[in-house]
Amino acid sequence: MSEKLTFRDIFVKGSVVFNPVLVQLAGLCPVVAASTSLKNAAMLSVIAFAELIVVCIVASALLKKIPRWVRMPIYLVIGLAFVCPILWYIETQTLVNLSLGMKIYIPLIAINSVVAVHCEQFAVKNSVKLAFYDAAAVGIGASAVFITVGALRELLGSSSIGGIAVNIPVAFKGMLMPFGSLIILGFMAAVLKAFVSKRCPEYIQKPIAAEEKKEETTEIAKVELPATEETVEETAIAEVPVSEPEAEPAAEENPIDAIKIMSEKEIDDFLKSLGIDTEETGDKQ
Amino acid sequence: MKALSNNEIKQKPLKTSRLYGDYLLLLAAPFVLAWIYYGPRVLAVVASGVLGAVLSDILFCAVLKRRFLLKDLSNVFIGAVIALMLPAGIPLYVPAVAAVFAVAVAKIPFGGSLRAPFVPAAAGFAFITVCFKEQVFDYSYNSAEKMLGARSLGALLLNGNSVRLNSINVFDILSGNVAGPMGAGCSLLMIACLVFLLVRRKGALVSPLGFIAACALYAAVMPRVNASFFTSIFTELSAGSLLFAAVFLMSDYSTQPQKYSTRILYGVLSGFFCMLMRTVGTYEETVCFAVLLANAFTPILDSAVKKLQLKKASSARKGAAK
Repeated sequence: MSEKLTFRDIFVKGSVVFNPVLVQLAGLCPVVAASTSLKNAAMLSVIAFAELIVVCIVASALLKKIPRWVRMPIYLVIGLAFVCPILWYIETQTLVNLSLGMKIYIPLIAINSVVAVHCEQFAVKNSVKLAFYDAAAVGIGASAVFITVGALRELLGSSSIGGIAVNIPVAFKGMLMPFGSLIILGFMAAVLKAFVSKRCPEYIQKPIAAEEKKEETTEIAKVELPATEETVEETAIAEVPVSEPEAEPAAEENPIDAIKIMSEKEIDDFLKSLGIDTEETGDKQ
Repeated sequence: MKALSNNEIKQKPLKTSRLYGDYLLLLAAPFVLAWIYYGPRVLAVVASGVLGAVLSDILFCAVLKRRFLLKDLSNVFIGAVIALMLPAGIPLYVPAVAAVFAVAVAKIPFGGSLRAPFVPAAAGFAFITVCFKEQVFDYSYNSAEKMLGARSLGALLLNGNSVRLNSINVFDILSGNVAGPMGAGCSLLMIACLVFLLVRRKGALVSPLGFIAACALYAAVMPRVNASFFTSIFTELSAGSLLFAAVFLMSDYSTQPQKYSTRILYGVLSGFFCMLMRTVGTYEETVCFAVLLANAFTPILDSAVKKLQLKKASSARKGAAK
C-alpha cells in the first residue's frame, strides 16, 4: 500500500464502491438464506459487524508475520471463538425464538468469506487503525445490505416490517425463498453501480482505464450499434474483425522495444550497458 | 459486417414486430377457443396481463430514459401467453403481477426480449406459481360442464389417478373440454400451431419437437398411472400447458441455442426436466420451471457442441493429412 489512505477513501471503498455483498459477492449465504425478516437481518448484521472488527484487528496486530496458509484457518478459529459464545447465549438465555430460524447461519457467519477476504487483502497489510476503519466500513456496507434485503423481503413476503403488520393488498410468498433475495440483490447491485459511476467515478477510473487498454489489444472489437426497433442484427453486439496488428519484433531483436516492458531501474541499467547516459536523454524510449 | 458469427440459423435480420406478430396470430386461436369455453372473462384476464406488461415496460423505459416502442409486440406477447396459461377464474391482479415480473426482472435488465437469457413469460408464470399456488391451480370457474368437473388432468396425474379412455373422452381431452389453463387445453389446436411453425419458422420448431418427444418417451418409460403406455403418453401430453409451452415458450427466439443439433438437445433436456419435476415435484404444472432450468444450460450446450465439432474437424483433418 504505497498510496496514503484516508478514512474517507477507506470508508467509501469498503462500504460503497466495493461493497462486500453487492460488488464482491461475499457473504451471500446468510443474506440469501437467513435474512427473511428485519429482525433476523439486524441480528446477522450485528454479529457480522462485531466479528469483522474483532478478527480484522487481531489479524492486523498479531498475524502479519505468519505464513498465509496458516493465517486462513486462524481467521476461522478466531471467528468461531467470537461467535460460539454469542450463539450459546442466544440459544440458552434469550431470543430462543429468533435463533430457531437462523440456527445454522449464525455459525456460518464465523467462517464468512467477507472476513477472510478483508483480513487477507487489507488487515494484514496495514496498521491496526486502518484495519479497524476498513472493518467498520465493510461491516456497515454489509449490514446495510442485510437490513435492506431483510426489510424488503419481510414487507413483500409477509406484509409486515419488524413483526408489525403493514396493510399491503398482496403478499408475495416467493420473496421469502432464496430466489427473492437474489432478485433484490441484483437490483440493488445495479442501483449501486449506477450510483457509483455517477457520484464517485474517481474510484472506478483505474480499473476502467486498464480494461480499455486491454480491449485495444484484443483482435475482436465490440461495437454497439444504434438501437431503433429491436432486431436481431441491429441490436446485437456485432463482432467486427479488426485488421491484424502489425507483428511486433521480438524483444531481443529491438532494444528499444525491449525497454517498453522493463521497469525504470532495469531501463537505467540497460541504457548504461549500452553506454547511454540516462540523465542526458531523459526519455525512456 | 458479420453479426452473430458462426450462427447457422439466425441469418436474416428479423424485427420483433414481425416475430411477435406471427406469435400473436398464433395466440388468436387459443384465445377464441378460450372465449367459447369461458366467455368474456377471458378478455379481462388477457387484458390484465397485457396491460401489466405494457405499463411496466413504459415505466422502466421512462426510468432508464429509453424510447418506448409500442410496435415492439413482445410485451403484448408476454402478457397474452401468461394469461392464457392461467385458469379463467384467476383474480385479475395475478396475470398483471406475472407480466410485471416477466418484463421487469426477466426482460428489461437483460436489454430486451431478443437478448433475454431466460424466457420472460416462463419466468413470470413461475413467479406466480410460487407466490399464488392456490389461485393458479384453481380450475373451478365455469367447470360444471367439463368432463372431469373442476379436476384437471394434471391434478389427476399428480395424485396417481388416470381416466379410462374411450372415443368421447379422447375427443373431450383433445378439444380442451377439461378443466385446465384456459388457452392451453386444446391439444388439436396446439398441433395446428406446430404446423404453422413448420410453415413459417422451421428453425423454431426443432426444440419443441425434441421437447415433446422427450416428454412422450419419459411418460412411456416411467408412467405415473397404472395404465397402458399409450394412455400415459396421451394424458401426460394433454395435461396442463405442456403442448402450449412447447409451441410458445420452447420456440422462443432469443433463448434457443444456435445450431439445430443443440436445439434438439435443449428440447430433450427441457422435456426431461419437465417430466422429472412432474414426477417428484409438488406442482401439477412444472413446464415453466423446466424451461427456465434448460435456459441456464443453453450456453453450455452451445459451447459443448462447438467443441465437439471442432474436435471432429481437427481429427478428420489429421486423418486426411496422414
